[in-house]
Amino acid sequence: MSHSKELYDAILTGNAKKAHVVTQAAIEVGIAPMELISGSMVPAMDEVGRLFEEEEYFVPELLLAGRAMKSAMELLRPLMVASGEKMSARVVIGTVKGDLHDIGKNIVGSMLEGSGFEVIDLGADVTPERFVSAVEGRQPEFVCLSALLTVTMPAMKTTIDALETAGLRTKVKVLIGGAPVTTEYARQIGADGYSPSASGAVELVRGFLAGS
Amino acid sequence: MHAMTGRERILAVLAGERADHLPCMPITMTFASDILGVNYLRYVRDYRVMADAQIKTAEMFGFDYVSTISDPTREAADLGAHIAWYDDRPPAILEDEALLADKSVLARIGGLQAIAGGRMEDRVMGIGLLRERAGDELFVEGWVEGPCAEAADLRGINRLMMDFSDDPDFVRDLFDFTLEIATNFATAQIEAGADIIGIGDAAASLVGPVIYKEFVWPWEKRLVESIQANNGRVRLHICGNTRRLLEGMGTLGCEVVDIDYPVSMQLARSQTGPIQTLAGNLDPVRELRNGSPETIAQSLASIQQQVGQRWIVAAGCEIVRDTPYENVRALVNFAQVHETESMIDG
Repeated sequence: MSHSKELYDAILTGNAKKAHVVTQAAIEVGIAPMELISGSMVPAMDEVGRLFEEEEYFVPELLLAGRAMKSAMELLRPLMVASGEKMSARVVIGTVKGDLHDIGKNIVGSMLEGSGFEVIDLGADVTPERFVSAVEGRQPEFVCLSALLTVTMPAMKTTIDALETAGLRTKVKVLIGGAPVTTEYARQIGADGYSPSASGAVELVRGFLAGS
Repeated sequence: MHAMTGRERILAVLAGERADHLPCMPITMTFASDILGVNYLRYVRDYRVMADAQIKTAEMFGFDYVSTISDPTREAADLGAHIAWYDDRPPAILEDEALLADKSVLARIGGLQAIAGGRMEDRVMGIGLLRERAGDELFVEGWVEGPCAEAADLRGINRLMMDFSDDPDFVRDLFDFTLEIATNFATAQIEAGADIIGIGDAAASLVGPVIYKEFVWPWEKRLVESIQANNGRVRLHICGNTRRLLEGMGTLGCEVVDIDYPVSMQLARSQTGPIQTLAGNLDPVRELRNGSPETIAQSLASIQQQVGQRWIVAAGCEIVRDTPYENVRALVNFAQVHETESMIDG
């Protein structure tokens, strides 16, 4: 079996150890990092997303696949930095201030990373100031905001307002998600997009990149 | 038919008997604290405030019950977990500092010696006060975290989701532990006067049918049986998408199974059978908060058509705090103008 297929299978089945070993072996025989990412990782995470949408996979399987993908990325990232290769876009993601729910945000982050984007995860309970600081420092193309509670949703607007005040709003696309969030709410607060699912978030980012 | 009290109405429907009209049991938390005009921190830390808010809300809108559901941290707080407190919203678990982030701690913490002096006792006191004030007028609901939800609270939900694969024996030990906590907590609430115990097992909606069957259902079943053996009734509340778990949920023997809005009531009815009493399932945000009395009535009529008899009117989950009063009244009004039928032959 090829390294590419083995890595694909390891991610799909959530086997982090195997993903690490296969990636190491692939590097040793000279396979380029971007070849592994585009040839194995992205299709594997796309399939994970599809299986989740089909209700064949659930959150445990998503998290295991994400962990396997990250174990491969740990080996590839330093090589990409050394060779000057870049992911297709950079995304800053976090759960907004006052909200500690991070499982949805983690899944979206994994799906984006596995789809070939650089993901900077700020964690949960992230203040608007930290989002602003991350956008200033890391210059992402996208900011993804998550909230699970209706009482913390207003922090999404506060964060967008803080980006506006800092003069950064036009430099990023702001995407929002979370159980109580709607397309209408995204429009109300001036977000650029909303997705009800992790794979939808990936498609949203891809759509913006294709359109830009 | 003579007018029933809320408690009589719910008991009649649970027994499969005819009631004067449909019962209405919507979950309220921050919505109720706002009705009383107190911040939510006071609501969750003082059972007297919670009881005042629940009684006032039930009377103001005509609900058939009062509940002590408040937040998921009562058991975890008493076990020593780190909790984040907020002035005006529910406290939450700090996952980074989860009590069982290190699995070896489970063998050392040993459980609760007694429900005394902490957040669990506050809820038990709340049940006693609500029972005293509600008498036979309103149904009184206690609440416990389900075995899976409490395991997620103590271990960290991200860790637990991977433990199912990484260390299934640990998960079984953890669920034994959380089952014992829930059983003791439920028993204390039944003794204090609770008519029904809500089992909130939200984390279960994140797993698929295979994990649910192997790890979650058996412990939920033991909890349901222990509550019923203590003369309690059970309302199972699993927030989120439970489409693939419905069949199992319907075989737990709960008196009431809540259905959240991502699941169609038609599917819930077909999967849980004609005898199961179901509650739900308006979308709390998109339909109940953002809708109008007219659209709410239309949605409830559609739900009624799907679910048939043995139905309790409710939103899929908590009524969110900024829901217009006229929308909540539309929910209650729908229940009050629809009679129920006897499900007992003859």
